[in-house]
Parts: sequence; C-alpha cells; structure tokens
Amino acid sequence: MKSKKKSSKFRLVDGFLLIMMIIPIAFGMTLHILFNPPSNGIEIAGPLVYFTIPMPIQPLPISESQVNSWLLLISVFFLCLYLTHGISAKRPTKRQHIVEWGIEQIDKLVSDNMGEFFKDFAPFVAAIMILSAFSSLMTLVGLYPPTSDLNIVGGWALLVFILITYYKLKCGFVHYLKSFAEPVAFLTPLNVISEFATPVSMAFRHYGNILSGSVISVLVAAALQGLSSMVLGKLPGFLGQFPLLQIGLPAVLSVYFDIFSGLLQAFIFAMLTMLYISSGFPEEDYRQKLKRKVTAN
Amino acid sequence: MYSSEVISVNIWQMIISIANLLILFFMLKKFLYKPVQSMLARRQEIINNDFEEARKAKDDAEKSRKKYNEKLSAAQAEADVIVSDAKAKAQRKSDKLIANAKEKADEIMDRAKADAELEKKKAEADIRNEITEVSTLLSEKILEREINKDDHRKLIDSFIENLGDSYDGNQ
Repeated sequence: MKSKKKSSKFRLVDGFLLIMMIIPIAFGMTLHILFNPPSNGIEIAGPLVYFTIPMPIQPLPISESQVNSWLLLISVFFLCLYLTHGISAKRPTKRQHIVEWGIEQIDKLVSDNMGEFFKDFAPFVAAIMILSAFSSLMTLVGLYPPTSDLNIVGGWALLVFILITYYKLKCGFVHYLKSFAEPVAFLTPLNVISEFATPVSMAFRHYGNILSGSVISVLVAAALQGLSSMVLGKLPGFLGQFPLLQIGLPAVLSVYFDIFSGLLQAFIFAMLTMLYISSGFPEEDYRQKLKRKVTAN
Repeated sequence: MYSSEVISVNIWQMIISIANLLILFFMLKKFLYKPVQSMLARRQEIINNDFEEARKAKDDAEKSRKKYNEKLSAAQAEADVIVSDAKAKAQRKSDKLIANAKEKADEIMDRAKADAELEKKKAEADIRNEITEVSTLLSEKILEREINKDDHRKLIDSFIENLGDSYDGNQ
C-alpha cells in the first residue's frame, strides 16, 4: 500500500494547474483595469470593445464579454484537469468526492427532467450551468459578466432552439408541421409565435436578470454616495467626501444580485433547456416510428 | 476603444457564443465526464470482484462446514457402532460364561446326584447284606439249626422286599 502522502511531483502538477486556473482571470482583471475608461458618475454601458474585425453582414467587435468568455473557458479547462487529477477508484481524493457528487447530481437532474432517452445530455446541461454560473460570478472579481451581454446569452438560447427543433424533426418534417396545428388548427399562428418566443424569452430572462442586477447596484451605490455627501458634506476636508453610507448595503445587494441571482439564473436556464428539449420531443411517436422501421425491415 | 450599446445584436458574437458553449460541452465530456465515468466503471468492477470473492469464500466456508459436520456425524456413528459392538461382544461373552457356569454346575449337580444314588445303593446293599447276615445269625441261633442257606436268603430277600415295599408305600 502506498503512503497517503502525495508525491512532490503530484503537488507540483497540482500547483501548476491551480496557477493556470487563476492566470486567465488575473489577465482579464489586468485588461479591465488597463483599458476601462474612468467612469464619472452614473454610467450604464455595454461591454467594452477592444477592437473590431470587419466581417460580412456585420462587423465583429471583440468585446470584453467575448474575451472574458474565452478566459473563462481556459480556466474551466484547467479546473477540469485539476479536479480529475489523481482520480482513482480505490483511494478517492477529496476533490474527487466533490466531482462525483456533482456529476451524480447533474445526471439525476437530467434523467429526472428529461427521461432516460436524453441521458447523454448531462454534459451539455453541465456546460450550460457552469458557463452561466461562472460568467455571472465574474462580477465578484470586478470583471464584466458575459451573461449581461445579450449576444452571449442569445447564442446559447439559439443553440437550445436549434436542439429543440432538431428533436422535433426526428419524427419527420410533416409530423413537425402538424405539431403546430395542435390542439386546434386555428391556434397555429400562436403556436408559431410561441415557438420563436421560446429562445427570445430565455435569452432576455437571463440577460435581463444579470444586467438589472448590475444596474440596480450602480444606481444604489450612486444614490448612497449622493446621500452621504449630502449628510456629511458640511464636514471639512477628507471627512466630507467620505462615502460612509456606502458601507454595508451595496455588499448585501452584491450577495443577492451577483451570487444568488447569478446561480439561480444558471439553474433556471438549464432547467428550461431540459424541459423545452424533452417536452418538444414526441417520444411516443418516435418509438412507434422506430418500431415501424424495424417491422418494415 | 468604446463601449457598445447595452442592447446590441450581433450575429457573429452569437455564433462565437454558440461555439464557446459547444467547446465547453466537449471539454466537459472529454476531461471531466470520461475520466470520472471510467473511474466509476473501474470501481464498480472492483466492487463486483470483491463481492464475487466474498461469495466464493462464503461458499467455501459453507462447504467445509458441511464436510466437517458430515465427518463429525460419521465419526459419531462409528463410535456408536464400536460401542454397540463392544456391548454385544461383552454380552455374548458374559452369556457364554454364565452358560458354561450353569453347565458346569449342572454337571456337578448331576455327578453329585449320581454319587449320592450310588452311595445310597451301596448303602442299601450293605444294609441288606448286614441284615441278611444278622437275620441269618439270629435265625440260626433261634432255630438252632442250619437252614438251607439258599432258602434262607430267599426268605430274607422277600422279607426285605416286602419291607421296602411297605416303606415305599408309606412314602
């Protein structure tokens, strides 16, 4: 039996992975500090655009949200390597317990909400959850959260829409068209609208929640600053500028908007993805079609 | 360097976002799910092996317990047989001894009886002779004459015979 003490090589690799996890975030923070123009007063703006690449149809701006997404991907990649480093069947490491628990939970969530047919969707749902949650949590280190960019969340919603349509088309195009005329034929326009409303509502819900959190935080902070300068403004010198009332309340709001709301929206987005995809898929008809195919052969 | 609008729709950014999500999906699948699932499969295998071994060991133990019990009961039966054999042997021996003793006793008894009979007969003959002699003497003395010895004997004999008869009859 090998000793429980980890070898120095193992520790070295661990440290390397951890550093590689932190470097992208630190790089993002440096970029933010270097390029963000100093704000004066209340300013609610979209992500900072570093440069623009000319493209057909529309130029592609490389914005802060894009860069942050990529940095996050690199970080998560090294997080995965870190979590699965030293994984073993006989003597599980501490982080292995966390990974196993998480994967088990996601698997259970997916099979509960989508059924056995969609069991392979677990990594996709995990990807949505991780990307959304960590993107929202980026505000904690002062970075611009990619989830408050409509294009980012819109892209995810578009992908979900493509998946929904793909699984609806599994029973054939005619079946797909017919599904719009249910339960009654004259509801067809409404069904078509609701079909397209699905990704739009998903994107706007997520994006709006995160953005509104930042907006409210900015507004409250500004209001408190104004209030404290009103109250303490008569005091001489440094004391008059001291934002006393800004202590406390913004932190509480940050806990709610940045942490709670961010995680909640990630969960909601993942849940809606699972529900829309699994409820849009006509599983019974698909099984019958498969059976017909088997008997025909 | 400028900030974009709060609400701006850009198709390329959306495509990049989709690509990001897909990249993360494959990344998680390859670097998180695959190692964990292969590890879980390995662990399941180990557990199954352990169970199999435990079951085998239990079976073996059960088997040897049965064997032991069988042996024990066989030994018990053997012991029983030996004891009963010994008992029977002893019984036989004692029976034989008793029978022998009885036989011998009977023999002794018979011999004693025969001896007694012989003795009795001898005594009877002696007594008869004596009586004969005595009576002869007496008769000679009384009659003072010689009786024919043979006649005399006949007489006495018949007398004794009668005596014996009367004696036997009294019996």
